[in-house]
Amino acid sequence: MIWKTAWKNVWRNKVRSMVVIASVTIGIFGGIFAVAVMNGAIAQRVDAALNEEISHIHINDPAFRDNYDMQLIIADPEQVISTILETPGVAALTPRTMIAGMANTATKSTGVQIIGIAPEKEKEVLKLYDTTIPGTGDFFETESRYKLAYIGHELAKELNIIRYRIDQDVLDSLAVKNLPVELLDKLSAFSGTRFKSEKAFKKEMKGALSLKEQNAYGALIKEEAWSFRARSKMTLTFLDKEQIQTGAVFRITGVFDIKNSMYEMSQVLVKNEDMMGLTGMAPNEYHQLVVRLNDTELTEKTTTSLREKLPGLEIMNWKEIQPDLAMMTDMVQNFYAIFMVVILAALAFGIVNTMLMVVLERTKELGMLTAIGMNKKRVFRMIMLESVFLSMVGGVVGMIISKILIGLTSSTGINFASYAEGFEALGFAAHIYPEISTSFFITVTVLIILTGILSSIYPALKALKLDPAEALRTE
Amino acid sequence: MNNLKLAWRNLWRNRRRTLITSASIFFAVFFALVMRSIQLGSYDHMYKNAIESYTGYIQIQHRDFWDEKTVDNTFTYDKYLEKQILADENVTAAIPRFESFALASNGPQTKGVLVMGIAPEKEIHLSKIRDKTVKFRLTSESIAKIEEDPSIPEKVKELAPLFENNAYTTASRLQLDLDIPDKEAHVLMPAIEAHARSENGSIAMGEPGAWVGDKLAQYLQLGIGDTIVLIGQGYHATTAAGKYEIKGIVKIPLPDIDNKIVYLPLDICQELYNAQGNLTSLALAVKDNKDKAIAGTVERISTKIPGDQKVMEWREMNEVMVSQMDADDKGGQIMLGILYLVIAFGIFGTVLMLTSERKREFGVLVAIGMQKKKLASIMTLEMLLIGLLGLLVGVVVASALILYGVDHPIIFKGETAKMFAEYGMEPKMAFMTIGSYYISQIVIVVAMVLLAIGYPLRKITGMKVVNALRA
Repeated sequence: MIWKTAWKNVWRNKVRSMVVIASVTIGIFGGIFAVAVMNGAIAQRVDAALNEEISHIHINDPAFRDNYDMQLIIADPEQVISTILETPGVAALTPRTMIAGMANTATKSTGVQIIGIAPEKEKEVLKLYDTTIPGTGDFFETESRYKLAYIGHELAKELNIIRYRIDQDVLDSLAVKNLPVELLDKLSAFSGTRFKSEKAFKKEMKGALSLKEQNAYGALIKEEAWSFRARSKMTLTFLDKEQIQTGAVFRITGVFDIKNSMYEMSQVLVKNEDMMGLTGMAPNEYHQLVVRLNDTELTEKTTTSLREKLPGLEIMNWKEIQPDLAMMTDMVQNFYAIFMVVILAALAFGIVNTMLMVVLERTKELGMLTAIGMNKKRVFRMIMLESVFLSMVGGVVGMIISKILIGLTSSTGINFASYAEGFEALGFAAHIYPEISTSFFITVTVLIILTGILSSIYPALKALKLDPAEALRTE
Repeated sequence: MNNLKLAWRNLWRNRRRTLITSASIFFAVFFALVMRSIQLGSYDHMYKNAIESYTGYIQIQHRDFWDEKTVDNTFTYDKYLEKQILADENVTAAIPRFESFALASNGPQTKGVLVMGIAPEKEIHLSKIRDKTVKFRLTSESIAKIEEDPSIPEKVKELAPLFENNAYTTASRLQLDLDIPDKEAHVLMPAIEAHARSENGSIAMGEPGAWVGDKLAQYLQLGIGDTIVLIGQGYHATTAAGKYEIKGIVKIPLPDIDNKIVYLPLDICQELYNAQGNLTSLALAVKDNKDKAIAGTVERISTKIPGDQKVMEWREMNEVMVSQMDADDKGGQIMLGILYLVIAFGIFGTVLMLTSERKREFGVLVAIGMQKKKLASIMTLEMLLIGLLGLLVGVVVASALILYGVDHPIIFKGETAKMFAEYGMEPKMAFMTIGSYYISQIVIVVAMVLLAIGYPLRKITGMKVVNALRA
């Protein structure tokens, strides 16, 4: 009965109620959607880190990670590997050798970490092979008389293996894509130019094109001007097991792009067999074993059981390898809640005001209800319910809209391309697919109900203070 | 004047509603200002740290050096150029540098490093690299000494192991991490400092010695007195190789630099790369680092330098950091946008109630001869007053907090402090005074009120007195 009365009361002044409902709707929608975008970005980051960069668990000599000393190999690898593979939860494993070195081309050089792998095993653990940029080759599939190296997009750009150029071919293919004639004229001034770097290319384009043209066609021009020098080579230099400087020419087998510029810049994958001759390491000498689990949820459990089985080795799971990643996923949940609370607090002001108005304009009616025997508890409950209904209607509508919009954008994604550089430097993709768990909706629902209840307390107390006799007399 | 008086009195007819509406505006303004202050405070802190300890605000480089950082893209630096540059009103010092990459090794450990040749006495004007030498370090031995020392309280002994191997460039930072209050500092710190002290030598022009970053030193297991071997590519593809004694260890507040930097005296570095007399960059120390002053300086200097050189400013040299700050900034603005939108609806709700409640009163006023225009202006004034009241209180309270916060930054301790350190940030949340941001708050609040006021104004102008009187 009280519920029904409260619900009907909400719609007595439609315009006023609609204003409150609309404000709750917008607040809730805005809040949830912003959180979903943030959460999506983080989920993508974690996914990428687990699937492409680090996998779940790393196993190595306890002192190895201090300075990647080449001598610190895993003792008795066959035994260790079979122990790991027998552990429940473990899906696959790839052994690696890791050496610090320099990558050089004719003009440039930079420090890198060289990772010696067995390509077939590596594929079972990490999906890095899947991120090869089309047209740059493959993941160690093509045979070559050279040693092969698989490098990141940023490193390829740094070493001038990928560069930007504008020539007749580029102009022709841009012409097919319906670029305005005057723009093509501007670009044809560059015909035959090879740009020294991405930066140089961007600078020239910024100078030549108007802002409007840059925004409309910049990405397209960049895509067309991008060129990979097929059959490129680079030299890797490093110290061998005897501390003697060594090195060799490696051909680029493929270039990967994982939206994490730090990783792309610093990691070079090569075949273990290509490295052995240079480093003087034996075929079954490894520095690190990288383990993939059946499910990320099994991380803690499997880490513990591996630690028991392999006491002499350092077992690190992804949360320990990248504490920032783990912290981000854990801490950010609190931040979402705080964000929603701030929005709801702002909404509460509007609700309090409206409910106060409701009580004051119904002074006579409330007096009447008390006079004919409705007890104070029920009056209090009626007003509280009205307030909760008011916020819930807006909340539910807001949540439905968010759910629909998140559903729509979670497949297409939202592009923040203009901030790509900042995002990617932090390891985040600039193309974000919003997502949020159902439990967040439950949290928000609870918060909305709480807001409704809390903002009704003051107005409801006002209503209780009314003296029925006084109230009946008011106009 | 009369209108204002009427509006003011009207406000207090329903005191509660006025206060609640003002409070909602106060909430938004306060939140916006404080959040902004913290955000800008941390940017300011972050970029000052990054810029001042590495690139500086302005650099002169070889035209192609930034795009292609090779030893071949260098320029010669002479007294004439120096004089020209120092003549600029905003330039206080010109700091010559020579930077390149090399493979560094110490015994079995090897790593690609950034080699920077510096003139130690000139760096005082910019990177103050001498101040960044590690003065204290909580090694396991020093922690053991602290634990044995009876004069040191248990609380400190418990905290110390948490920061094992941390290096400190100042005693105050050490004091902060160990959570020693200022009033106890003069008693406790001398003993702790003695336990944790770490001595450094200096590098000087002409003497083959090196300073290395703290993280790099840990990686290569280098201590003072050890020798570091550098192998790289010199001028015109010659081989560059040399060995240098470690004279000191420095801690650079940027982890990405700290884990790969080796400082050599400028002339020794030029000799290593066979590029005597050449520089890769000339960093300028400036008097005024505001955007406008920097832009002016860049413009003036550009006309003075030879054609093979160019002037770079900090934004170009720290593109990634600038766009990260931009993205973060936009995120904050979206959040505030949502907040203000919600508040705007609250104001509109108030206006709506005001109007419907006073329909009859409006009717009477117009019936007895009050101009609708006057009524509308009173109504507008009323709403503006509510807005300005909230704004004023918000600004005053937020400013008080911000001014307090500028001198008393929020400082994190223990685990949280360690986490900040891992990101290379100081464990504090700084506030910053934000002059120009106040104006936008005023504009937003006034705009919200004016938007909301549209509804009652239409009601008043379209009012039929007879109907209104019956309401």
